[in-house]
Amino acid sequence: MSESISESRSETPLLELDNIGKYYGNIIALTGVTTEVRAGEVTCVLGDNGAGKSTFIKILAGVHQHDEGTFKLEGDEVSFDSPRDALNRGIAAVYQDLAMVPLMSVWRNFFLGAEPRKGVWPLTWIDKGTAKRTAKEEMAKMGIDIRDTEQPVGTLSGGERQSVAIARAVYFGAKVLILDEPTSALGVKQSGVVLRYIVEAAKRGLGVIFITHNPAHAYPVGDRFLILNRGHSMGNFAKDEVSQSELTQLMAGGAELEQLQHELAAATGG
Amino acid sequence: MSDVSTVDASEQEARQSPSAVADGDERLAYRGVFTRLLVRPEIGATIAAMAIWVFFWAVSVPFGLASGAASVLDVASTLGIMAVAVSMLMIGGEFDLSSGAATGALGMITLLLVRDFTGEMGGAGFSLWIALPISFAFAIGLGWFNGTMVNRTSLPSFIVTLASFFILKGAKLGFSKLLVDQIQVGKMDDLALNADTRGGDKGYAFFQRLFAGEWVRNEHVWSGRDLLYTVATLAGICLIVLAVYEFRFARRQQMNAGGVIPFILGLAGLVAGQLYLHNTDDTTGNWIGSAIIAFSILLTGFGLALWRYEPLADRGSFNLDPSWLKWFGAGVAALVLSVIAARALDADNSDNIYLLFTEQGIRAILFISLAAAGAVMLLMAANIAGRSSQLMRSALLFDAAVATALMAFFIRSQSASPKFRSEVFSVMLVIAAVMVTWAAVTYIFRERREPDAQADAFAQRVLLVGMLSVIVGVGTRLLFTVQNEIDNGISRTVFSVRTLWFILFAAVCTWVLGRTPFGSWVFAVGGNKDAARQIGVPAGRTKTQLFMLVSVAAWLVGTLLAFRLNTIQASTGDGEEFEYIIAAVVGGTALTGGYGSTLGAAIGAVIMAMSFQGIPASRWNSDWRFVFLGVILLVAVIANNFIRSKAEASR
Amino acid sequence: MKNLKSLLALLFAIALLAAACGSDDDAASDDASADDAAEASDDSSDDDAASDDEADEGDDDAMADDEGEADVDLSQGGDLTFHMITHSEDGPFWSVVKKGMDAACEDVDVSCVWMPGNNDPTQMVTDIQTAIGEGSSGIAASLPSPDQLIPELQKAVAEGIPVYTLNSGANDYGTIGATTHVGQSEDVAGEGAGLRFNDLGATKVLCGRQEQSNVGLEERCNGLKATFDGEVVDEFVGLDADQTEQINGVKAILEADPDIDGFLGVGPVIAMSGLQAATDLGRDLHIGGFDMTPELLDAIEAGDIAFTVDQQQYLQGYLPIILMYLEVTNQNQAGGGLPILTGPGFVTPDNAAAVKELSAAGTR
Repeated sequence: MSESISESRSETPLLELDNIGKYYGNIIALTGVTTEVRAGEVTCVLGDNGAGKSTFIKILAGVHQHDEGTFKLEGDEVSFDSPRDALNRGIAAVYQDLAMVPLMSVWRNFFLGAEPRKGVWPLTWIDKGTAKRTAKEEMAKMGIDIRDTEQPVGTLSGGERQSVAIARAVYFGAKVLILDEPTSALGVKQSGVVLRYIVEAAKRGLGVIFITHNPAHAYPVGDRFLILNRGHSMGNFAKDEVSQSELTQLMAGGAELEQLQHELAAATGG
Repeated sequence: MSDVSTVDASEQEARQSPSAVADGDERLAYRGVFTRLLVRPEIGATIAAMAIWVFFWAVSVPFGLASGAASVLDVASTLGIMAVAVSMLMIGGEFDLSSGAATGALGMITLLLVRDFTGEMGGAGFSLWIALPISFAFAIGLGWFNGTMVNRTSLPSFIVTLASFFILKGAKLGFSKLLVDQIQVGKMDDLALNADTRGGDKGYAFFQRLFAGEWVRNEHVWSGRDLLYTVATLAGICLIVLAVYEFRFARRQQMNAGGVIPFILGLAGLVAGQLYLHNTDDTTGNWIGSAIIAFSILLTGFGLALWRYEPLADRGSFNLDPSWLKWFGAGVAALVLSVIAARALDADNSDNIYLLFTEQGIRAILFISLAAAGAVMLLMAANIAGRSSQLMRSALLFDAAVATALMAFFIRSQSASPKFRSEVFSVMLVIAAVMVTWAAVTYIFRERREPDAQADAFAQRVLLVGMLSVIVGVGTRLLFTVQNEIDNGISRTVFSVRTLWFILFAAVCTWVLGRTPFGSWVFAVGGNKDAARQIGVPAGRTKTQLFMLVSVAAWLVGTLLAFRLNTIQASTGDGEEFEYIIAAVVGGTALTGGYGSTLGAAIGAVIMAMSFQGIPASRWNSDWRFVFLGVILLVAVIANNFIRSKAEASR
Repeated sequence: MKNLKSLLALLFAIALLAAACGSDDDAASDDASADDAAEASDDSSDDDAASDDEADEGDDDAMADDEGEADVDLSQGGDLTFHMITHSEDGPFWSVVKKGMDAACEDVDVSCVWMPGNNDPTQMVTDIQTAIGEGSSGIAASLPSPDQLIPELQKAVAEGIPVYTLNSGANDYGTIGATTHVGQSEDVAGEGAGLRFNDLGATKVLCGRQEQSNVGLEERCNGLKATFDGEVVDEFVGLDADQTEQINGVKAILEADPDIDGFLGVGPVIAMSGLQAATDLGRDLHIGGFDMTPELLDAIEAGDIAFTVDQQQYLQGYLPIILMYLEVTNQNQAGGGLPILTGPGFVTPDNAAAVKELSAAGTR
């Protein structure tokens, strides 16, 4: 997958985070996080439950504002007021719940909140033909053939739903795509499908932030890895600086896991 | 949901590689038009509405007349306007318990504003041109208040609007007593009566025509009515049948001209039979007319299929599969039971089967429900068997047809009622003929298993034209009269402009819900509010607008009532909100939000109106009225759910 | 949004002002009708001193045993509190009853509590219990569903509280031990209507009810059956709250039975619905109604409706208060064990104009 570090790689990173921190009252939710996201690259954020991953996404997506450090978007220092603000600047988040309405059809979900219109204000209506065709085309670009865009999203498989959400974010001009645990609820095969979409999105020149707790999923697709543990950054590596087993070890808190391994070895050996 | 995704997981594999789809099992991938139609939320209500109409038509004479239809539409109009608005709100995930009281309140505001203060007591003496916009502004304000309170407090709308309900209920009584010193406010037509003393009627004449215009059918005599009715209805039905064929069967490469002759002969027979039936009144005439029609149906259907569709090579074989056998057994048992029930209860030959709680009445009900259940179960058996063998499907369809025909003759010989003897007999015979035709055509011709864009587009157009034709035919029949009927003393039939308001409102709401971004947002807000918000849908605003829509509908209904009744009682509309919600639910709207249909709600309102009207029209004892109402609603909702779950399972 | 809000506020204010200024000329009667229990009791406590003198003569030691702790109040008419518990406050009918009650309370200077029950027997049971608990000086109650209410009222009688029934309950006041019943005997009223239909020459009358399981309404229809020479069809046709449905319900029955040539609506709204249904169908019916509304009176004046049975309900609000007052202060027991009938009176095209004027004043 090394071909994903491609020619689209630019001089300034899309996102640059330096020593970002966030407090909720006197609780330190996140501190000292440094990483960068480049166009055409996949930056993986790894961490166990409670590591501060969700706080991290919420800062990036504009739900929360950071309390310390600098947050640069294409070189300019920014702080988003709202998710809408972040979205307007090209940062789209796909959450675990996917922001999908299960009972609504694929094309309606795809264009929800930004329906293509026909007619003259105030009498406008959805350009249904365009919407359906575009949805089908965009999905096809991601390599998914949706048989009927009229079918409700609830009848799609988990992987397909992910792909609809990703295709939607890509279509609406996202430069940075944040994926929150897209593989956590999926089986092995479906996870593979989603990982393929991630690579596909990066290939199309997006900066992808892939949040996961599964190093086996992260390592094959990632170009850069940020490891979080209990709100602290455990390191920020390029792919060539780290191996999958090291990632696993770092995620679990490095030293602690080493200790545990020693103890186990002593117990079984002795 | 979980089993859906596992099914889809395997399907999805097939979809991953396009080539696999082409040579894989095409049956799984092709969802026929009917399956797609069946997942529409309003389909259950439509079927239930037709069944209820047929039921009351069979047991009551006045119900089936134009005046009966006018009454049903009159009751349905005000109920339906509200049900449509309420269903949109429910799809958006909220309730408005103040909607019923609001109808009365807003009508009352209009009346208070136009009442003349120089007259008896109270009132502002405004012209209607001013009063109506002001009360409209009140409506907007009420909706805005409800919506904002729900959004701001995040309390369930049930509680918030319950408070609004009590406020409105109290305000109606309080203000009418305070200002007019009565618990009703009237009278709208004082405007017209006092027009000369006050210089003008303040817009009454105009708005009276707009909101309470009436169309007396008896004044529209047209001798060509029955001809147009017959031709338009028959042509419409033929076109609908053609559309169904196009959806169902695979086309021939080369059309077979040999089929055209029986097709045209059949059509001619249909017209002849229909005319014969229409021009005779005696039982024998009915019998012969029905027979001609039945034979023509067979001929037409077969001719059409021969002309356009490809014959089937492999017809399957007889197989005894327990999955259909159990339905077949149950169906036969139900039919046998229905005959036994009818015989056993044939104690006396009382002349009035309309009175439900005579033995005759019980017998009629038992007989009809058991026979209908039997026929439905036979059809289900046919459907299940048809998945593996065309031969079995045809055989079972034929059985159902024979059973229906037998029932028809049984009714004719047993029933003391002329209505049953003539009309029901003819109708059942025609149904049997259609089933036989279907059995034959299914046996010989190949069903479509793949999408055919050309055929589908053609069929859709034909279906549309056919339905329009039927509507025009039935409309003519309802809206015009012939001299003969007037001479025989039919009762005065009045259609009201309220019905047009109802149709207009339902059409606009259906368009908004289906075709505009706002409609999408309504579904989204009700289906998954957080997701909608995340994706940038203005959820709060959408909900507030929905509450406004409901109160604007309440304003419309309040105005219609004010012009119709001239006075508004303080109690007008109180408690009606549950009827709106029930109508919406009967029409397929989910109580949980995110799913539903305004068209369904409109049909739900018609169902309720038919029950309200059908029970007194059948002269059933009104003490049992709510039992019937409950049963009818239960049946409608169950049918709706059943059809939907069947359709979803077949996805 | 801000603009919208202020606009709405403005509109609201305009409309209210406009509606209110029209009622200036009737300010006095408005005030009277708006009197609720709280205001009434305020008034009476202001007048305490005056009422002391008036009521002193009614001082009665004999009552003390029965009344228990309430005996202190007996010497002071102004401190007497009477409860009027009714099954409804809807409809034009009950506002006149309340007006009668208010007038009587003012005339004899006592506090009165108006407790409308909204057609819910359970609510009425609670109201009766509340009245007993508050140490009521007298209870007047209507009796739409006797079975639930009789035991409660018997408890009140056992407590020594004077009990009167009003409006409905003519058959049960004896069982309760109530002093008497003030109202129209519903069967007698229905019988009167039956005789009217005989005079009008009707052969088959539909008796349309606007409520189900209301004994009073059924008795009206039964009274009609008793005296009417022809056939009577007795049906519930729809609630007053949905008059469209009511009208069409009547229409459906009229159409299903072409022999019907008379309609008795056992309430004023339903009588108008009957007229509307007949007009819609173009059928010529003899129509009778019960009770009154301005529209009904207009229709009678115009000759569209033949008559309405007037039970003079003003008396049903007025008399029980006076009778209770006299029983408490003067040990009078009116009626002699028989009900006191307030009706039926009939309004026909002959006297409609006169009644209309009184009705406009709110006392008929």
